[in-house]
Amino acid sequence: MTAVTISRVARTFGAVRAVAGVSIAIEAGELFTLLGPSGCGKTTLLRMVAGFCDLDEGSIHFADRRIDTLPPHRRNTGMVFQNYAIFPNLTVHGNVAYGLSARGVAADDMRGRVERALALVHLPGYGERWPHQLSGGQLQRVALARSLVIEPDVLLLDEPLSNLDAQLRVDMRREIRALQQRLGITAIYVTHDQEEALAISDRIAVMRAGRLEQVGAPAAIYRAPATPFVAEFLGATNLLTGRVAGREDGHLLVDALGRRFRLPAVDAAAGTDVTFSLRPEALQPVTVAVAGAATVAGEIAAAEHLGALLHLEVRLGDGPPLRVAMLDDGAVAPAVGRPVTLAYDPSRITVFPP
Amino acid sequence: MRRLLPPRSAFPLTVAAFAFAFLGLFLAWPLYKVLASSFLDAEGARFTLDAYVKVFATGYYRSAVANSLAIGVMTTLACMAIGLPMAFLLARMAIPGRSVLLALSALPLILPSFIGAYAWVLLFGRAGIVTQWLQGLGLPTTTIYGMPGIVMVFTLHSFPYVLLPALAAVRAVDASIEEAGQNLGASRWRVFRTVTVPVIMPAVLAGGLLVFIETLENFGVPFVLAEDMPILAIEAYKLFVGEVGANPAMAGALAMLLVVMAALALLLQRHYLARRRFATVARSAPPVIRTGPLGRWAASAFVWGLVLLALLPFVAIVVVALMKFRGPVLQPEFSLGNFVQLFERAQRPLANTLGLATVAAVGASLIGIPIAYVLTRYRSPIAHALDVLAMVPFAVAGTVLGIGLILAFNSGWLVLTGGWLILVLAWLVRKLPFSVRSGSAILHQIDPTLEEASVNLGRSPSWTFFRLTVPLMLGGIVGGTVLAWVTIVSELSSTVVLYSGPWTTMTVVIFRALEGQGAGTAAAAATVLIVATVVPLALVYRLLRRNNLAVL
Repeated sequence: MTAVTISRVARTFGAVRAVAGVSIAIEAGELFTLLGPSGCGKTTLLRMVAGFCDLDEGSIHFADRRIDTLPPHRRNTGMVFQNYAIFPNLTVHGNVAYGLSARGVAADDMRGRVERALALVHLPGYGERWPHQLSGGQLQRVALARSLVIEPDVLLLDEPLSNLDAQLRVDMRREIRALQQRLGITAIYVTHDQEEALAISDRIAVMRAGRLEQVGAPAAIYRAPATPFVAEFLGATNLLTGRVAGREDGHLLVDALGRRFRLPAVDAAAGTDVTFSLRPEALQPVTVAVAGAATVAGEIAAAEHLGALLHLEVRLGDGPPLRVAMLDDGAVAPAVGRPVTLAYDPSRITVFPP
Repeated sequence: MRRLLPPRSAFPLTVAAFAFAFLGLFLAWPLYKVLASSFLDAEGARFTLDAYVKVFATGYYRSAVANSLAIGVMTTLACMAIGLPMAFLLARMAIPGRSVLLALSALPLILPSFIGAYAWVLLFGRAGIVTQWLQGLGLPTTTIYGMPGIVMVFTLHSFPYVLLPALAAVRAVDASIEEAGQNLGASRWRVFRTVTVPVIMPAVLAGGLLVFIETLENFGVPFVLAEDMPILAIEAYKLFVGEVGANPAMAGALAMLLVVMAALALLLQRHYLARRRFATVARSAPPVIRTGPLGRWAASAFVWGLVLLALLPFVAIVVVALMKFRGPVLQPEFSLGNFVQLFERAQRPLANTLGLATVAAVGASLIGIPIAYVLTRYRSPIAHALDVLAMVPFAVAGTVLGIGLILAFNSGWLVLTGGWLILVLAWLVRKLPFSVRSGSAILHQIDPTLEEASVNLGRSPSWTFFRLTVPLMLGGIVGGTVLAWVTIVSELSSTVVLYSGPWTTMTVVIFRALEGQGAGTAAAAATVLIVATVVPLALVYRLLRRNNLAVL
């Protein structure tokens, strides 16, 4: 269990600020995810921790030990690569034992540890197989066993699931999470997949253009995104801009898309523009208008039936239609052109003050 | 502030430091000596431009420059004119015996060119076998000597420089881009002109410039065929060795002209290629072109004809070596006499050739592969400088390097002249660009994350290189070393300057035989070199296909 402290690290490639002064304190035993679109600097940051990318500025500590001045082979991190990076010239056993023999572990001790690591990733008895005999999922398990067997201070995962197909991806991420929690190991996980990040993480750092946009627990970031970028990147949302009309009952009244919305009160004068995020699932069609509840009226512009879920696009006055997501309980007939009233809870709207 | 030495740079810096020291001592220092000698007066004390003035004031040397350039340009154009259509036909038409053709098509490049020239003389020279036979029949004969003969022999030797990369490029053209062209309304011919040719042109031109450089520096072919025609590489050698009074200043001036011309061509090539990267990975190969039997016959005759024309002289020389000579006259009778004679006289040169070439080829790999590793895996200004320096021997004619090594190491704290080491060093330096490029090509096929995984698991970068990367590269390294060995065995241009007393080689034996009597012994010696080339190649052919031929 090792805490990781990243302090004001920066790296420039040519004219590009890949990482621009990032500081993160990762707690011991935490699974911390770096999330962002490609080119946001998340992989560069991970490779800085591993030692494959030099720092221009800043420092990285594991607990009290400064490690960014160490060469990568002395940092005791276990890295899982996107393309597995399994040594093709070694058996599964040889791959898993690689880091142990680098650490001078005795042969008979090694055999037991390799076998236990393989059992941990559900590949017991696979030691004598060759990499070319394994499937992608199995290779990823070998890579995981290889990183865990050396008992690293920090487990580093660089988009470990992006080469797997959809179902396997879901299974593997559960397995990685369960293993990480069972072993109580500190892990840094890089992904561009927001669903994966939400599912697996203790905390998420959303990155953009080499900087941190927001750091927090998955639910907290989802519910209260700090910036419009985070709101859009993490889950689907309706990002609207409207003009403040006034205040009423502790709510901010904002006109957008030809309708009046009730928003949580923020510091914004009447006549100014504010941007706010309205999640699709925070909008629910209602058949009977409840007096005093926040609602907007529109008509269904498009409908997608996704099994359990129903996605609607509802056109209000003008501008783009609102996205609505609901469980399909059969109460709403998704006929295009049909008028519909949408109720929402103003406290679930995030307002970005001007 | 960026740290001066990042924590993971010890291994590449060690390799770079060693490479700079080695190349500095055995490449840059000798070249500097050549340069310096060309600017010094007879006493070697004062700076003067006399040598250059004299070179350009003398019609003989002016025409040497003109001849060398003309031969280079004509050969390059001829090779491109042959290589491009050949590559296209080989890639897109059902030519019978295609796999054999592909195996044979790289061979002319590797077979010693001056032996090819010698074979042509043996057949079509003034006292050539075919010439005499034609004269006996009262038929007119044509001369093989002079510019046309030189260009022909060079072309038949060098066209694979264009063919091989062009073939790779044609094959890398994905069917979909040609189909897209046709789908947008272009005819087959228009697609060929506007899509296929532009995509493969960088490869063709890159190969063409290699031909130019190789032709410029070649010593043996013009030596056999030029007769009285002045050629730069030969004149530099003559001025330096100087039977009638050596003139190192003028030799140096001619050498510098050679280096500058080749360097310009090399820079031109790099500049051109830097802006053109059309490499695509073909997911589906374009279909085989269907033509009538006439078209197929014509294509097959063209491709097979050229490959056979390039290889037949070598077959002929082997046959001649197995026949009986009476003086210079060939008898219609088979005998091993030539070989007996050769082994009586030339055991030592044979042992020298095989042994020293092995030392040099292994040395080139030992030095070249770590350099290639640093170049491909570590991007930094130092790596870039090393890349440039390691490619310099490409632009340096063997004669020039030989002269430089003698100037640098015939006195002072390190004397190498007169020994075997100077030969090995010359060959090693000359083959280094090949080793580096071949190593880079192999490394590009090994995923760098494997090495990162190894380092991440606790192995140092140097352990990772020697114990993980090198074993993964091994097949390619063996292939590359054998290929280097094969070309070293028939090296002439630096050897002819550097050999001495007991340290003669087979190529020198042939070279001397060309000047005097002993066509039979020379043919036998040539046969030995041909066997020494073809047999190892056949043994490692499987290892070669993927990595090495592409970077020859």
